[in-house]
Amino acid sequence: MWIATTRFGPIQFEPEDVIQFPEGILGLPCCRDWLLLADVRNQSLAWLQSVDRPEVALCVVSPRRFVPNYQVRLSRRELEPLKLQDVQSAEVLVIVSRSGGYITLNLKAPLILNLSGGLGRQVICYGDQPIQYVAASLTPALRKSA
Amino acid sequence: MLVLSRQRNESIIIGDNILVTVVDIRGDKVRLGIEAPSEIPVHRKEVYEAIKQENLRAAQLDPADTHPLTRAETSEPPGPSNASPS
Repeated sequence: MWIATTRFGPIQFEPEDVIQFPEGILGLPCCRDWLLLADVRNQSLAWLQSVDRPEVALCVVSPRRFVPNYQVRLSRRELEPLKLQDVQSAEVLVIVSRSGGYITLNLKAPLILNLSGGLGRQVICYGDQPIQYVAASLTPALRKSA
Repeated sequence: MLVLSRQRNESIIIGDNILVTVVDIRGDKVRLGIEAPSEIPVHRKEVYEAIKQENLRAAQLDPADTHPLTRAETSEPPGPSNASPS
């Protein structure tokens, strides 16, 4: 199967590559089927590409690479729809966004994926996690040490 | 909008399987207990709206703008710089 994405050009995929978000993603309810694509230019990133809408893609990262002590606090019931074999097999990703001159991570509403089961869900975790955690600045800080 | 009066410990049921119970009332604050199937997300509306807006903003991200993330990962996130590798 093929999808002509606006960002990445044509992409070939197999049905088993699809990760289904049965509830959609907040604000994008019609996008239920997604592909997780590696970013060839930046290995710390991946992209969730909508299968339903070729122009919709979300940049995602593994939050612990940027926030070492990040923890997702959830009720177990939130994970039930993912049909995980065990909680450890859940993949946690957060969505990258841009706010002004900063690149931000949404730590409040991570994506939890069951990759082997092809299922995903955006959850809202407990506690005071920021929706826009500043991970990087678009204007480089000229402060590199030797 | 349907408006129903309820007292403490009284409930309303939505469909066959969503139960909303008034758990406590103190001043102008009401605590609600919600029982719903796990596939039905339940959120505070203002948080729901904020995340919806953030997702829509994220969907506009230009791939060219993501390059600072490599630097952010290899060095420490914003804050005092230090050279401790993780």
